[in-house]
Amino acid sequence: MAGHYVHWGVIQISVTNLVIILAMLVVFALAIAVPFRHGDEDQDRP
Amino acid sequence: MTSVAGRTAAHEHERPTRSNWTARLRTRVGRTVPPGQLLPDRQPVYVNSWIYVFGALTLAALLIVLGTGAVLALGGPTWWHTSSTGHFVNSLHLWSTELFFAFMVIHLWGKFFMAAWRGRRALTWITGVIAFVGSIGTAFTGYLSQSNFDSQWISAQAKDGLNSVGIGAWFNVLDPGQMLMWHISLLPAAIGLLVVLHVILVRRHGVVPPIDAETTAENAAIAEDPGDGEASS
Repeated sequence: MAGHYVHWGVIQISVTNLVIILAMLVVFALAIAVPFRHGDEDQDRP
Repeated sequence: MTSVAGRTAAHEHERPTRSNWTARLRTRVGRTVPPGQLLPDRQPVYVNSWIYVFGALTLAALLIVLGTGAVLALGGPTWWHTSSTGHFVNSLHLWSTELFFAFMVIHLWGKFFMAAWRGRRALTWITGVIAFVGSIGTAFTGYLSQSNFDSQWISAQAKDGLNSVGIGAWFNVLDPGQMLMWHISLLPAAIGLLVVLHVILVRRHGVVPPIDAETTAENAAIAEDPGDGEASS
């Protein structure tokens, strides 16, 4: 099977899948960190 | 007054019904999602974050998966091998599935770290988990429905695992017709039902508040009315 793999102990993962998982973690972090500006004035206050 | 004309004139059909399954179902539906909660246009202020967008993104991706899958069904399982249009629709089906899973996993991470099963939301969490696992099975049967050497190779790898747990006779990955039926009929129906249940439960119980917001609200309530705390101590 073509492609590059990362071997780390019992873990073996293709570079492609590793990059996708890291990109998802970056999106997750951005979703928490980046402010959601829309509708600030139109929300109910708890 | 037992004649049809007499009962109609007496407006018997407008009286409250004693009990039938339609009335029971209507009452149950009304209790499950109270009026105004099915499609709310306002949300609590803590929903003002990008992390709450990923559930809706998952739903949007799922709709594209279902739509492109329906178009592929019109052309048949080998259409995408012989038609550039079919190939394009197949690619839309694949990439919307990839996005569906990426959005769903980020949604899962967000809800996990919010402990989103709090506040009688356990069934919401459980339906989400089952929909997630079912989606993985649906995607696997999609790999088996490509009608190419890739699907043949994957089925040859999968059969040993499924036979080892004793379900190979009923779920035969070497039977492309059976796998196609699971992929386009049984599993999408199950996933669709679970997703509808999941969304209804979200609408019923509302979006889970952040852990610190809940604690703050509890402290504020105690500060305003310490009577309960004093009485119980």
